Amino acid sequence: MLRVWFVSLAHSHLGQYMQTSKWGFAIVETVHLLALAILGGAVLIVDLRLMGVILKKESMRQINRDLSRLLLGSLIVMIASGVAMVSEEALKCYYSPAFRWKMALLATAVLFYFTFHRRAVLRQSEDRRFTDGIVATISISLWLGVGIAGRAIGLL
Amino acid sequence: MPTLQHVCQVIYDSHIGTAIRESDYAFSIIESVHVLAITLLVGTIAVLDLRMLGLILRGISVTRISKTVFPFTWTGFAIMFVSGCLLFWAEAAKNYSNPAFRVKLVLLALVGLNPLIFHTTIYRRVHEWEVLQYSPWRARAAALASLLLWSGVIVAGRAIAYF
Repeated sequence: MLRVWFVSLAHSHLGQYMQTSKWGFAIVETVHLLALAILGGAVLIVDLRLMGVILKKESMRQINRDLSRLLLGSLIVMIASGVAMVSEEALKCYYSPAFRWKMALLATAVLFYFTFHRRAVLRQSEDRRFTDGIVATISISLWLGVGIAGRAIGLL
Repeated sequence: MPTLQHVCQVIYDSHIGTAIRESDYAFSIIESVHVLAITLLVGTIAVLDLRMLGLILRGISVTRISKTVFPFTWTGFAIMFVSGCLLFWAEAAKNYSNPAFRVKLVLLALVGLNPLIFHTTIYRRVHEWEVLQYSPWRARAAALASLLLWSGVIVAGRAIAYF
């Protein structure tokens, strides 16, 4: 069933454009890279604060309010540019183990972000817990995993 | 052959340069580290730049953010510099004639000049404006220049593979 989506993506207008365009892929990949820089910065600052390593005197909520916007904004850009890149070589991605790993890690990272991570961040102001450091470490590890798997796509 | 090109050729042909270039894993791993460390270097400095532009974390003073961010930014820079030198070691001769690489070096020089000017001028009086939601125009100009120049470095870096 999933394979059908990739085939459809390859045949879509976006797919046709990406496959025939000379600079399309390069431009989209560069956008992906720029958004990655912002996403990484946001994740790092929020999780280091959650761990209690930086900005200890500042409110977790205040930091999260702004940086979560940055994180989600850059994430949306990365997903959009990511879809565009997949449309250029859809079936190759579908069969790529690195790509599958990346998607699994991405789904996990996003799910984790909206559940355990969110809970820990919003609760931090009243109730700092030992587990917050663990939540932050898992968060950083998952996002880092997405990045490494992404690199592996092009190499394997 | 011009001297600089000759030097690049010697570096390229060296034992270590060749080993990195021809290895199955070395180049890929070094390049991956280089790409992912962008988040550490540019990601953290972007937070400071966005603060000075008054877009995020307005409730926290500029100096607090810069003190927080700088250790990570400098660590990121160290990683980028070492990995970048190793990548250059492997590709020196090719990089010499690569227009994207040359542009990247020029932009790197400018992105280093920007904070130099910033820190010796407007930042000297930071205690006068550190709590302001929007920093003075000179600081905002430096912040915008920083974001644009770093974006340029990243774009140029990616473009190296296309020339």
